[in-house]
Amino acid sequence: MTYDTVVVGGGVSGLTSALILARHGRRVAVVEKAAKPASLIGGFERGGIYFDSAFHYAGGLGNGDILDLFFHYLGIDRLLRKVPLDQNKFDIFRDSASGWEFSFPCGIAALQEALCEAVPHEARGIQSYFVCLAAAFRQLPYLNPGTPEVTWNPVEAVHGPSLAEVLRRFIRDPRLGHLLSLHTLLHGVSPQEIPFSIHAGVVLPFYRSPCRIAGGGRALAAAFSAQIQAAGISLIQGRSAEKLVLSASGHLQGLKLADGESLACRECVVSIHPRRFLALAPQGALRPAYRNRLMGLEDTSSGYILFLHGLAPPPILAGSNLYLGFSGQGMAEALSSLERRPLFVAGGAFHADSAQTGHGWSVICPASWLEMEGEWASAGFPRSDSYRAAKEEVSGRIFQRLAHEAPEIVQGARLIEAATPLTLRNHCGGPRGGIYGVRQAVGQYNPQPATRIPNVYLCGQATAAPGVLGAMVSAFLTCGHILGDDRLRREIMA
Amino acid sequence: MTDQKIIELINSSLIEEFELETEKMTPEATIYEDLGLDSLDIVDMVVVLENAFRFKIREEDGIRDIRTLGDIHRFVIGKKQSLEKKGD
Ligand SMILES: Cc1cc2nc3c(=O)[nH]c(=O)nc-3n(C[C@H](O)[C@H](O)[C@H](O)COP(=O)(O)OP(=O)(O)OC[C@H]3O[C@@H](n4cnc5c(N)ncnc54)[C@H](O)[C@@H]3O)c2cc1C
Repeated sequence: MTYDTVVVGGGVSGLTSALILARHGRRVAVVEKAAKPASLIGGFERGGIYFDSAFHYAGGLGNGDILDLFFHYLGIDRLLRKVPLDQNKFDIFRDSASGWEFSFPCGIAALQEALCEAVPHEARGIQSYFVCLAAAFRQLPYLNPGTPEVTWNPVEAVHGPSLAEVLRRFIRDPRLGHLLSLHTLLHGVSPQEIPFSIHAGVVLPFYRSPCRIAGGGRALAAAFSAQIQAAGISLIQGRSAEKLVLSASGHLQGLKLADGESLACRECVVSIHPRRFLALAPQGALRPAYRNRLMGLEDTSSGYILFLHGLAPPPILAGSNLYLGFSGQGMAEALSSLERRPLFVAGGAFHADSAQTGHGWSVICPASWLEMEGEWASAGFPRSDSYRAAKEEVSGRIFQRLAHEAPEIVQGARLIEAATPLTLRNHCGGPRGGIYGVRQAVGQYNPQPATRIPNVYLCGQATAAPGVLGAMVSAFLTCGHILGDDRLRREIMA
Repeated sequence: MTDQKIIELINSSLIEEFELETEKMTPEATIYEDLGLDSLDIVDMVVVLENAFRFKIREEDGIRDIRTLGDIHRFVIGKKQSLEKKGD
């Protein structure tokens, strides 16, 4: 049997692509290395307790907002229950030194008002900044499907301006600049390096309508799986793609799997890290210029993650997430010492049925791959004693910080598990453990959907934007390239 | 770096990165017809030049107006000169 399309990688971007293409009558297969699709966001269990892994909350999930439209288009909205966060404080920032807090309310107008109240002398700057933010957002592809065709030139983002440059134009108070940079943690790139337009694409939907999903990432993964099945898409799981098979004239014939079997196909959408895509391409199919460009792409920041468990979740996390940090310090380009880094405490997808088992929540601290240098970086399993000792030390230091800066997060809680950049490298597929894969940064030319191999396309965070929303936008961009953007846009709005 | 050295570095980088034939590398050679590159290759070319010369190319530099290999030579020489002036 010949498939019209084989999708390599069954994460959010690959599954979204598969659903879009199947809806247009293509016979589609998804090849996924892990035992289950959407394994990254699917969370994990320890001792019967469920933890979210790579999905905590999303922006743009309010009724009729962009992610809601995408979910509806894919038919997964019926399978999910959205849980809006606290209208008055979906995210809380707490200054680790002074204990000063700022609560982010839902909605752009409410947020502007709250910021003006906190920093009244900057009211005009705040106004102008938000005008800029909305204007940058309007230029982004697929995030505004209701408005007529925007001509998106991806290279524009590469040339900036950066978030830091725009902030300098309008904002003087460093405390305010810090609040407006806080959500750089949701794309893993510093204010100095993130293109303002990409930042707008990530934060605006969060400001507008942030939501959790009942049951967390596991429920999202399950909804995707169910839809894949309903759409008649072949799911080839627990098996790795190894090589694209090309004819002598360079045309795609199929995909060879690591176990030797080949799938015949006319088209291939590759949703894995672009560097890993290079390994799929046969020798000579891609010129050195393109290979070197993809090899040179840098990842977003990595992180340490603490997974905590307690019988009752901390009340502060019921409808909010908590960000800790030092407002005077700003969000710097380089990571500071562990004691000065921002921390993100994500409330889990708490549900009533965990009343017996208790609840899991997690704390993310940005980190660099360089902290995994030397023997650890190349080590396999079992991990070395020195690595395990270092992991324990880092977890201990973060736990200590929480005990001082946010005692309610660790009171009565136990540390169940921890992750390092090495763990993230294994789960996120990036060679340097980037939380969001390849970063979007001023000066970095990320790949486009079309590759140099005819009928072979890329999708995934690298080609569009980070996060679940970014991964989905990438799928629409790639499928729009194949099927026609206008057509897809009209369908999303229908 | 002399203009000659710049031209040599441009040519050798392009030959290597795009697997071009040395004989074709004349200043009159058009990048699309003679060298066989296409619009998808332009970003790759920008990255090759940025890495070879350690500068950043912006849209407004006029990279889109380039038609021949000689245009690339002039573009890079001009860019280097303007950066050196700024550095003074
Ligand atoms: C700690 C953490 C927290 C996060 N929190 C949030 C959040 O709160 N909100 C949010 O929106 N986003 C969050 N994200 C980001 C979100 O998880 C990602 O944006 C999204 O999962 C990326 O999907 P993807 O399809 O691009 O990549 P992936 O999910 O990585 O998909 C690629 C798939 O390809 C498979 N694969 C790789 N190589 C091969 C091969 N050779 N053959 C076959 N299959 C292969 C992999 O197993 C993988 O399943 C978080 C990420 C992390 C790491």
